Amino acid sequence: MSTRFRENTDLFFSKLFKVTGLLTLVLLGGIFFMLLYNSVSFFLDVAPLDFFTGNQWNPGSRGDYGILPLIASTILVTLGSMLIAVPLGIFTAAYMSEFANRRVQRILKPVIEMLAAIPSVAIGFLGIVIIGPGIAKLFGMQNGLNALNGSILLAIMSLPTIVTVAEDAIHAVPMSYKEASLGLGADKWETLFRVTLPAALPGLIAAVMLGLGRAIGETMTVLMATGNSLAFPDGYLDSIRTITATIAIEMGEVPYQTTHYYALFAIATVLFIITLAVNLIGEAIAKYYRKFGA
Amino acid sequence: MVLRLYFIILCFSVTSCSEEIQTLKIKGSDTEVNLVTELAESFHKSNKTSYLSISGGGSGLGIASLLNGQADIANSSRELNVEESELFRKRGIELDTFVFAEDAIAFIVSPLLLLDSISTVDLAGILDGSTNNWKKLTGNEIKINIYGRQSNSGTYDFVKDKLNIQFSTHAKEMNGNAQIIEAIKSDPSGIGYVGAGYVMNSRNGQIQNIKVLHIRPDKSNKAYSPLDSNAVFNHEYYFRRHLFQFIRKSSASAAAPFIAFEKSPAGARIIRKSGYYPVKIF
Amino acid sequence: MRKKKTHILGWILLLGSTITICSFLFIIIFHLFSQGLPVLSWEFLFGHPKEGLTKGGIFPAIIGTILLTLITTVFAVPFGICCAIYLNEYAGESRLTGIIRASIRNLSGIPSIIYGLFGLALFVQSMRLGTSLLSAGLTLGLLSLPYIITTTEEALKRVPNSTREAALAIGSTQFESIRDFVIPQAMPGIITGIVLTIARVAGETAPILFTGVAFYITGVPGSVKQEFMALPYHLYMLSTQHQSIETVRPLAYGTVTVLILIILMMNMVAFYIRQKFRENE
Repeated sequence: MSTRFRENTDLFFSKLFKVTGLLTLVLLGGIFFMLLYNSVSFFLDVAPLDFFTGNQWNPGSRGDYGILPLIASTILVTLGSMLIAVPLGIFTAAYMSEFANRRVQRILKPVIEMLAAIPSVAIGFLGIVIIGPGIAKLFGMQNGLNALNGSILLAIMSLPTIVTVAEDAIHAVPMSYKEASLGLGADKWETLFRVTLPAALPGLIAAVMLGLGRAIGETMTVLMATGNSLAFPDGYLDSIRTITATIAIEMGEVPYQTTHYYALFAIATVLFIITLAVNLIGEAIAKYYRKFGA
Repeated sequence: MVLRLYFIILCFSVTSCSEEIQTLKIKGSDTEVNLVTELAESFHKSNKTSYLSISGGGSGLGIASLLNGQADIANSSRELNVEESELFRKRGIELDTFVFAEDAIAFIVSPLLLLDSISTVDLAGILDGSTNNWKKLTGNEIKINIYGRQSNSGTYDFVKDKLNIQFSTHAKEMNGNAQIIEAIKSDPSGIGYVGAGYVMNSRNGQIQNIKVLHIRPDKSNKAYSPLDSNAVFNHEYYFRRHLFQFIRKSSASAAAPFIAFEKSPAGARIIRKSGYYPVKIF
Repeated sequence: MRKKKTHILGWILLLGSTITICSFLFIIIFHLFSQGLPVLSWEFLFGHPKEGLTKGGIFPAIIGTILLTLITTVFAVPFGICCAIYLNEYAGESRLTGIIRASIRNLSGIPSIIYGLFGLALFVQSMRLGTSLLSAGLTLGLLSLPYIITTTEEALKRVPNSTREAALAIGSTQFESIRDFVIPQAMPGIITGIVLTIARVAGETAPILFTGVAFYITGVPGSVKQEFMALPYHLYMLSTQHQSIETVRPLAYGTVTVLILIILMMNMVAFYIRQKFRENE
């Protein structure tokens, strides 16, 4: 094999690799462009004010394209899931990082990984067969398909993310902090709650943001277990319809390139921006943490 | 070695292996999807080279898929509306229409509810939300829970148009007939609507724990049940409708064998078994 | 006295949370498997659905899921590996590299349904591939790209620089050093990443909803232009839309059991490879 040939191959592949690297930019740009293009097409037909302040989403019959009920539903269910998942996740992470011995850790890590591996349809199925009926029985309702059901299920889905990232954050708090605290006479609990956890706070917030991002973007779970009613939700025991569920339900039924079609892209864009914002904030906090932490 | 395996798989991925396989994409109404699935299953037994893929999702989805070129046949429990006809015309797509069965919509409640029949006027009042309590009709102060379909459902559209109402926004939008039946079974205050075919399962019995309301059309004292085949044939039951299949003219020849099967005695037998009324009877 | 109280509170919170989460997993698996395992039989795994999906098996769904993951892997893995090679072996710490890394992180955070929309717009519509195995597979390929890039990059990072330097010292070009030395050493890590990606993709439903999955097919897909059945969608259908939900409930349990078993199996394969890999290090 001549040197010239080998050198040319080398050059060719280095260019090829660079192209694939750039392709990821193209992909992200492509997704953003597609969302934007179709959203703009939507706003040519429907005034942005009606979209962002209207409180009815009823495209077919009435031509109402108000996004507020969808946003309210999304916020309701993700907030609920964070209320459940954040304490559970952070305390579990604290236990795994600070108190569990080697043997226990070796069991816990696979347990968390397995929980993460369960697909969203299976979790949604659970909501239909156990948790929904459970909620119904508990509250004397007839039907357990509501925001509470969704919150519990979303909490289960985002727990692994929160636990893993939080555990890393807590573990990375320098030993010197803990030793100093113990040296001053605090016991390990006081150390945990007054020194370690506060020191890990940026990382913990990052963990919560990542978990939140997952919960907001989840589709199948909410589609199967929350009832999908279009009215403005009025509580956790009410049926809700999130942005993701709306896209999933209505996308198949729209002829391409109609106002309704564009409307779905418009709410997808809102979803995209929200998840992007949440992830960016989480990243920014994690970066801040890396500067001041370990 | 790995590279060789890779290229073989790559080639499979991008070439179409058998050209003699007749592929038909059938999409649409959830009311019809199980029936058409059974028809396809039977059809395939005697036509091994056929490949039918069937999806539900609602009549709206079927028609939209037809418009988008993603289906050859659309199952629909309603006629095309004005916008849709216009879109088909604009895109230059021609359709054949085929009525392959007759269906009745059953309004179901829990057996515990003290109501056996209802007039269409009262029904309209309940479904559009103006009456939200059973007191007026049963004397009991119970809030009404509506279990309906989503806007992509032909059944949804049919009920809405027949009663000339807009559904209450508090109506729960279930994903399919089955969920509605499940909901009504466990909710003594609920009312829902499903295809009658769902209430009569294929063993010709009825689903327990469900009561089917008799419907009194306006200005009449006689109430009819959707389970009464005579009432349906004689158009006395108010909520009866044709079940359609819309076929793209461009796929007409590919679809012909299957359509012929649906019209055949074997097909009619399956339609009857599923609780619908084959058109042959008319 | 006060210390005792905080101790007890602390143990309750920490141990309680951990036990709660563990019990989630065990309750989930126990409930699903206890109802689902009895349903598994030769006919269930290898038979075709019969009588409007109320009887018979889920074979076409299993095949569909397998074919789907195959297509996803075939298209995403080369791209992902090449991109990871670029990031780890060629790119410096320039602004462009930072932007590319940021893009990858953002791509991994995008909800799967938006990938579904993108797949619909690009593959089904613009490229006229229609609703098919190919469209759905490509869409899932895009979805898994960030994950493959990240795991491959980590595997590459673990190869010590001494390997690269030694290769260059004996006269290889950079490409040859990567092809003949770095990649083989990073292979276990790369394969682990691929296997884990397959495990994720097998359970994805949202992206395939409008790119090609069907409720019922009369045979097994013979070409990638055809529509297909898939396990997660089958589960969704059986539990929400089917005509006789009660009759098919056992089938739903069986389906979810098969799905989770496949995913768990993939995770264990990845785990095993990772373990063997760590031994050799």
